Amino acid sequence: MTEVLQNLFWILIFPGFLFTACFGLIACWIVRKVSALVQWRVGPPFYQPFVDVIKLMGKEILVPQQAQRTVFLTAPLVGLAGLLLLSTMLWRITIEPTVPFVGDVIVAIYLMALPSLALILGSSASASPHAAVGTSREMKLVMSYELPLVMAFIVVIIKSGGQLSLATLAQQTPALSISGMLAFLVSLLCIQAKLGFVPFDIAEAETELGSGVLMEYSGALLAVWKLIQAMMLVAMPLFLVIMFLGGFGTSGMSLVWGICKYVLILVLMILIKNTNPRVRIDQAMKFFWIYCGIVLAVAILLATIGDCYGINWL
Amino acid sequence: MDKTLLIPVFLPLIAGFVLLFLPNKIKFLSRALTLIISGLVLALAIRIFTLGQADYAFPILEIGGLKLDLLLSAKPLGSFILMFACGFGLLITLYSLKSQAGNTFFGCVLLTIGGSAGILLSNHLLFLLIFWEVVTVSLYLLITTGGKGCNFAATKSFAMIGASDAAFLLGILMVWSVSGTFVISEISMATTSAIPIIAFLLLMLAAITKAGALPLHTWLPTSGEYAPASVMALLPAAIDKFLGIYLLIIIVRKMFVIESAVLSIILAAIGAATIIIAVMIAMVQHNLKKLLSYHAISQVGYMILGIATGTPVGIAGGIFHMLNNAIYKCCLFLCGGAVEEAAGTAELDRLGGLGKKMSITFTACLIAALSISGIPPLNGFVSKWMIYQGVIQMGAEQTNGAAALWPIWLTCAVFGSALTLASFVKLIHSIFLSRLPDELKDVKEVSLLQTTPMVVLALLCVFFGIFYHVPLKLFIYPALNIEPGTAIFGTWDSVLATALIILGVVLGLLILLVGLLSRKVRTVPTWYCGEVQDNEAMRIPGTHFYKTVSSMGGLKQLYTGQEKGHFDLYNQSGKCGLALTNFLRWLHSGLLPMYLTWVILGLLVILLIVCRIW
Repeated sequence: MTEVLQNLFWILIFPGFLFTACFGLIACWIVRKVSALVQWRVGPPFYQPFVDVIKLMGKEILVPQQAQRTVFLTAPLVGLAGLLLLSTMLWRITIEPTVPFVGDVIVAIYLMALPSLALILGSSASASPHAAVGTSREMKLVMSYELPLVMAFIVVIIKSGGQLSLATLAQQTPALSISGMLAFLVSLLCIQAKLGFVPFDIAEAETELGSGVLMEYSGALLAVWKLIQAMMLVAMPLFLVIMFLGGFGTSGMSLVWGICKYVLILVLMILIKNTNPRVRIDQAMKFFWIYCGIVLAVAILLATIGDCYGINWL
Repeated sequence: MDKTLLIPVFLPLIAGFVLLFLPNKIKFLSRALTLIISGLVLALAIRIFTLGQADYAFPILEIGGLKLDLLLSAKPLGSFILMFACGFGLLITLYSLKSQAGNTFFGCVLLTIGGSAGILLSNHLLFLLIFWEVVTVSLYLLITTGGKGCNFAATKSFAMIGASDAAFLLGILMVWSVSGTFVISEISMATTSAIPIIAFLLLMLAAITKAGALPLHTWLPTSGEYAPASVMALLPAAIDKFLGIYLLIIIVRKMFVIESAVLSIILAAIGAATIIIAVMIAMVQHNLKKLLSYHAISQVGYMILGIATGTPVGIAGGIFHMLNNAIYKCCLFLCGGAVEEAAGTAELDRLGGLGKKMSITFTACLIAALSISGIPPLNGFVSKWMIYQGVIQMGAEQTNGAAALWPIWLTCAVFGSALTLASFVKLIHSIFLSRLPDELKDVKEVSLLQTTPMVVLALLCVFFGIFYHVPLKLFIYPALNIEPGTAIFGTWDSVLATALIILGVVLGLLILLVGLLSRKVRTVPTWYCGEVQDNEAMRIPGTHFYKTVSSMGGLKQLYTGQEKGHFDLYNQSGKCGLALTNFLRWLHSGLLPMYLTWVILGLLVILLIVCRIW
C-alpha cells in the first residue's frame, strides 16, 4: 500500500506532474523573457504562462464535425501521460540513483517519441487540411531527428562500455571528449526540433499553416498541449544533462551545478531560436540526415578508436 | 514412441488433400471440417507442448548409407511455435468462414497447418524438406484464390521460393556428404572448411527467403498486392516467418557452430539491410496491402539481426519478435482485408475517415500499428528492446568483426523503428483519420466473425507487451535453454509503467473535466481560413506525406530504379534468361554453313585442349 501511495506521490506531485509542470511553465517564462530581451522588448511577468494555461481552461472546447472524436480528445491525454512518465523517470533516477525506476535509456528514447506521436494522431484526427499538412511535417521532422539522436546515443553507450542504466550514464561526462561534445551539440539541435522551436517549428508554422498540428485544438485541450510543451522544456534538457553532462546533483554545490547545466542548455536553445529563420522541411531532413549524420559517424569512429586504445579525450 | 505426434501432421494433410478435390458446392461441409480439424490440432499442439519431450520413429527404407526414417520429435522450440501456428490457422479459418472462398482455400489452410506441423516436429532433414515443399505448394495455391493478377503473383512466389528450396536440397546433400546423417539432432558441424560454409549459406538462403528477407524478398510485395488479405495474414505474415526463423535458429544454433566472423557479418548485414531498405520502400507505397507486405519484410530483419548477435538476450529477442510480429502483422493484414472488403479498395488515396465507421477495426489496427512501431508498453517494443540489448552486448563482449560493427547494426535497427512509425502514421491517417471521401459514406463495420480474430490478436499484443515475462518464461527461455532472469540486463518495468501511464491519462481527464465543467463542448465545421471548398477538395490523403524523402537527391534515383524493378532479382534473372534464349535463337538460324562453321570451330577447340598445343 505504501508503495502505491509513494508511486502516486511521485507521479502526481514530486517530481512528477505538479513539480515538472510548474518548473516547465517557469522555463517557458524564461524562454519568453530572454527572447523579448533579445528583441529589445520588455517581455511578460513570470506568472504569464500560468495565467495563459488557466485562461485556456476556461475557454470553450470546439470539436470539428468531421473529426474522429475519440482520438481527437484522447491524444493530448496520452501525450501528457507519456511525458509525465518520462520526466518522473528522469527525476527519480536523479534523486535516487541506486533504485532502478521503470526503464533504461532505450525506454527513455522511445518514451520521448510518445508526445510527438500523440500530437500527430490528434492533429490527423481533426480532419483539417492544414492540420494534415502539419501532421506530415511533424512526422517527417520526427524521423529526421531520430537518426542523429540514435547515433548520439550510441556515442554515449560506447563511452560507457555498454551500460544502459540511466543512473550509470549520469555518472559519466561524455561531453568532456571530442566525440561526446560533437554528439552533445547535435543532440541539442535534435531537442530543438523535438520542442518545435525555431528554426524547426515547421509543423506549427504559424504564418503559413496557422499553427498546423494544433490548429483545431482549443480550450482545455489546448491547455493540455501547452502544458505538455512546457513540461518537455524540462524533460528534454534534463535528458541531455543526464546523457552528456554528468547528471543533475541533488545536494549543495552539485545541485547548483546541475541547475547551471540546465540553464546553459536552455539559454543555448533560446539563442538558436532567436537567431535563425525557419527552414523548410526538406532542408531540415537534409540537415539532420546528411550533415548531422556525417558528424556523428565521425564521432562514433572517434569514440570507438578511443575506446579501443583507452584514449579518453577522443 | 508417441503416436500423438502423427496426428497434427497427417490428419490436416489428408483432410486438406481431400478438400482440394471436393466440388465448391459443398460449402458447409468443408468449412465445418476445416474448423473442427484446426481446432483439434490446436488442442493437440497444446497437449504436445505441455507434455514436453516426445519422440516417434518409423523406419521406411534403408539403402546403403541412406537411411530414410520418419523421425518426429517434440522439442520445446518446435512445439511452442507449432502451438501458435495452429492458433493462427484457427483464427484465419474463423475469419474466412463467411467469405466467398472456395474449397481450395480451406484445403490449403489445412495443408499449411499439416505441413508446418511436419516441419516443426520433423527430426529428419529430408522429411523436413518434403513438408517444406507442401507449405510452398499450398502458398502457391492459396495465392491463386485471389483476384485479377494473382496467377502472376503466385508464379513469382513459387519460382522464388522454389529456387531457394533447390538451394535447401543442395545444402542438405552437402551436409549429408560431410556428416553422413540426415538426423538434425546428430549434426554438429564446424564452419571452418569450404563445404560446411557453402552448405550453411545455402540453408540460410532457404530460411531467409521463406521468411522474406533480402535479397530474395520480392515475391512478398507482389503476392501482397494480388492475394487475398487472409492468405497474407496466414502465410507470409505468420507461418512463413515461423518456419523461416525456425530453420535459421536450427542451423545457427544446432547444426552448425559459427566460428567464422564473415558468416556473422553476413547474417547481421542481411538483417540490418532488410530493416532499412524494406521500410524505406514501404514508406512510399500507395497500396495498403503492398505497404503491409514491405513491413512484413522489414520486420524479418530484426529477427535475423537478433539471432546474428549470438547473445542470449539477442536470440531470445529475435524469437520473441518472430512471435510478436506474427501477432501484430496478422492483425494488420486482417484489418487491411476488412477495410478492403468494406470500402472496396486498398488504394490509400481513395480511403479516409473510416475510424468513425469501423471503430472495432480501427482500434485493433491502431494497437497493432503502434505495436509494430515499437511504442511502449506494447509487445513490439519489448522484443525490439531485447534485440537492441543483444546488439549492445555483442559490441561490449565479443571481439569479432560483426561485433566491431555494432553501431551500424544498432543505428539501422532503431532508425528503422522510427521509419516504421512514420509509415504507419501515414497508413492510419489515410485509412481511418483524415476526411471521409463522399463515395465511402455508407461503409459499414465487417461481421463479428471477422472482427473477433482481430480483437483477439490486438489483445494479445497488449498482453504480451505488459506481461512480457509470461511468454518469455513459458515459451522462449525453455526453447533456447536460457536460465530466466540471466539474459535481459536492461530495465523495463512494464506493469508499473502501464499503471503510471493510465494514471497520467486519468490526470489528463481530470484537467479536461475542469475545462468541461466551466464551458460546454461545441461541434463546429472545420476551419478553412475562410475559404469554402467541397469535401473532396479538402481531403489530404497520406500518400504524399513522404514525397520529400522520395524526391531527395540520391534517394530519388534509387526509388525510381526500385519502382521499375531494377533491384528485383526475379526480373533480372528473367532478363538474363531472355537474353540467353535470344542468343540461342540467333545461333539456330537454320543455315547449314553456319552449323558447319560451329562444328569445325568446336572441333578445333577440342583438338586444342586434347593436344595441349600451348
